[in-house]
Amino acid sequence: MMEVVDFVINSLVFPGLLFVSLVGLLYVGIDRKVTGHMQHRIGPPIWQEYLDMGKLLSKEDITPSAAQSFVFNIVPLVSLGAIVAVMLFLPVTSAQPALISVADLIVIIYLLNIPAICVMLGGYSSGSPFGASGAGRYVVQLLSYEFVFILAIIAVVARVGSLSLGTVVVYQAQQGWLVLDWRLLPAAIAALIAAQGKLLRVPFDIPEAESEIVHGALTEYSGPKLAIWRLAYDIETIVVAGLLVALFFGGPTTYVIGGTQIPGVVDFLIKTLAIVLLTTTLRNIMARLRIDQALKFYWSFAALLAIISLVLVLAVP
Amino acid sequence: MTFVLPIGPQHPALKEPEFFRFEVKGEEIVDVDIHLGYAHRGIEEALSRRNYKHNIYLSERICGICNVVHTTTYCQAVEQLAGVEPPERAKYIRAIIMELERIHSHLLWLGIAAFQIGFNTLFMLAWRDREYVMDLREMISGSRVHSATNTIGGVRRDVKTEHVPTILRGLEKLERSTKYYINLFGSDRTILARCTNLGVLSKKDAIKFCAVGPLARASDVKTDIRADDPYGAYDALSFNVVIEREGDVLAKGMVRLREILESIRIVRQALKEMPGGPIRTRVGLQMPPNETVERTEAPRGELLYYIRSNGTDTPERVRVRTPTYGNFASMKSMFVGGTVAEIPIVMWGIDPCFGCNDRVTLVDSRTGKTRIVSFDELRRRRK
Repeated sequence: MMEVVDFVINSLVFPGLLFVSLVGLLYVGIDRKVTGHMQHRIGPPIWQEYLDMGKLLSKEDITPSAAQSFVFNIVPLVSLGAIVAVMLFLPVTSAQPALISVADLIVIIYLLNIPAICVMLGGYSSGSPFGASGAGRYVVQLLSYEFVFILAIIAVVARVGSLSLGTVVVYQAQQGWLVLDWRLLPAAIAALIAAQGKLLRVPFDIPEAESEIVHGALTEYSGPKLAIWRLAYDIETIVVAGLLVALFFGGPTTYVIGGTQIPGVVDFLIKTLAIVLLTTTLRNIMARLRIDQALKFYWSFAALLAIISLVLVLAVP
Repeated sequence: MTFVLPIGPQHPALKEPEFFRFEVKGEEIVDVDIHLGYAHRGIEEALSRRNYKHNIYLSERICGICNVVHTTTYCQAVEQLAGVEPPERAKYIRAIIMELERIHSHLLWLGIAAFQIGFNTLFMLAWRDREYVMDLREMISGSRVHSATNTIGGVRRDVKTEHVPTILRGLEKLERSTKYYINLFGSDRTILARCTNLGVLSKKDAIKFCAVGPLARASDVKTDIRADDPYGAYDALSFNVVIEREGDVLAKGMVRLREILESIRIVRQALKEMPGGPIRTRVGLQMPPNETVERTEAPRGELLYYIRSNGTDTPERVRVRTPTYGNFASMKSMFVGGTVAEIPIVMWGIDPCFGCNDRVTLVDSRTGKTRIVSFDELRRRRK
């Protein structure tokens, strides 16, 4: 009985839906504020995302007649569910995630792809040329960044010798952050580049390039369905950042400062915020690439970084 | 197999309504068909129903961005009809306001071009710096956009001596930021990746399709009405005609950015050498029957006004040929062979201003189809 209650609390409250929504929305709000300041604007207040979410949820639910289908309606929810599920596998308070499995890294890789696939399905089923075009670009982008991302993770796995994220965090607690390991530094950079593409941030916001294809795959979505997409996207921001933290930046660590113990979740929040701000900076100092240029960049430069790292890990003990 | 990709009349890449029918094969553009007339407002007809004074107001409204150059051309044409020469000081004030307008127009171009390639930070920064020049225009003329400076026979407001130091300070800020943008535009890797070798207009095509303005100058065609056929104070002011060789989007941007520096030079020189004296001569509104053509260099290229008078206080016919109209012919050769992702930035490369452009094309939307009908056809239909 306790297990079921635990599971429900884990998935709905902490570190599941409620916690991660609040933090995700706040982080994207901070991201927007920082972007505003970098662009010499005042920018929206950091709680703007909550207001936007409330506004979208209170709007009328309109589905264009060409898009009337089960797939079109269900994909936002599937996407949200998958991305919240990843949160259960991430170490948030301590090295131990909420759900423990033997090879959770593989599960995470699979679950992280579900939102992307949902966006494509939504785009293709929307009956709009912009949706289809955005979905097509998303396919290409997924093929570009996913390879790099998986290679970077494999490099970490080869170093630690375990497919469990908890073990990776424990290993880092003993041996120091993996990003400080010179063999894994290229992999960390490659993973950050891949995260930039995963989060659709400039220069890789190609699938939703507004001056070319309006809002890409999500063009036909509006009201509550768009709100769920936004929520899923905002949660993805913190989830991807959290995964990078666990893989390369030591994961959540508890500190004792002046006699009081700071819980690991504070460390988790600080580190994820730092990663989100790093991606924010990157997205504000570049122009958008073309899809072929992005593909080439990922498969040449970023993949090379990840492969170098993997070879170094395997060759240099 | 080719399929049709409609861009417009409503599309985020277009700031004004216009319809481009792209035929694409996969991602490659095979053909483009341009349908104009969505912003038609009947201005030329309206111009021939109002008197010469009222028309200044109307010609200023043809374009929101380059309005001073419209009124200047119009006033110069009417002055020619009346056989009046405006005072020297008025000519210099016109030149100052027109050059400030060119700076603001080119910075606006830079901002939107940056938006088209997804560089929102540059967009915001370029428009922040555009505010300096807008403030200067407001200080000189009392209005940020529609300056209402020109009148037939001169200008309505003088540039005050106490304003000169402020203008010079503003120009210094602009010069600094423009130099920074030139450096950025030529060195940022992502900008280079999106702008080089795109939408290339060869020198041959630029001459063949009679490209005008920065578009032609980016393709190594040295054409600038200010230098070729000086009007107003321009034969007394010294400046270089900026040209680039490559003809791609990067060259088009570089021409515009370097022209900002030239404009800053012109304004400085004009402020220094501006003679004193009156700013306006009175002109009667009864124009003897005559006709005249006046050309000026608008920020986007050659602007042409043709006016025919008939002895009354209203013109019989006013024809305006805006630079965007002159540049549409070159569009096809820039697009064909490119990819869909290039459409926004290449289109913005000519700095299109559809609001200025759509005055004479007639569109038949009764059948739901956009088609351009000739005047004869229209007359037949009326019967």
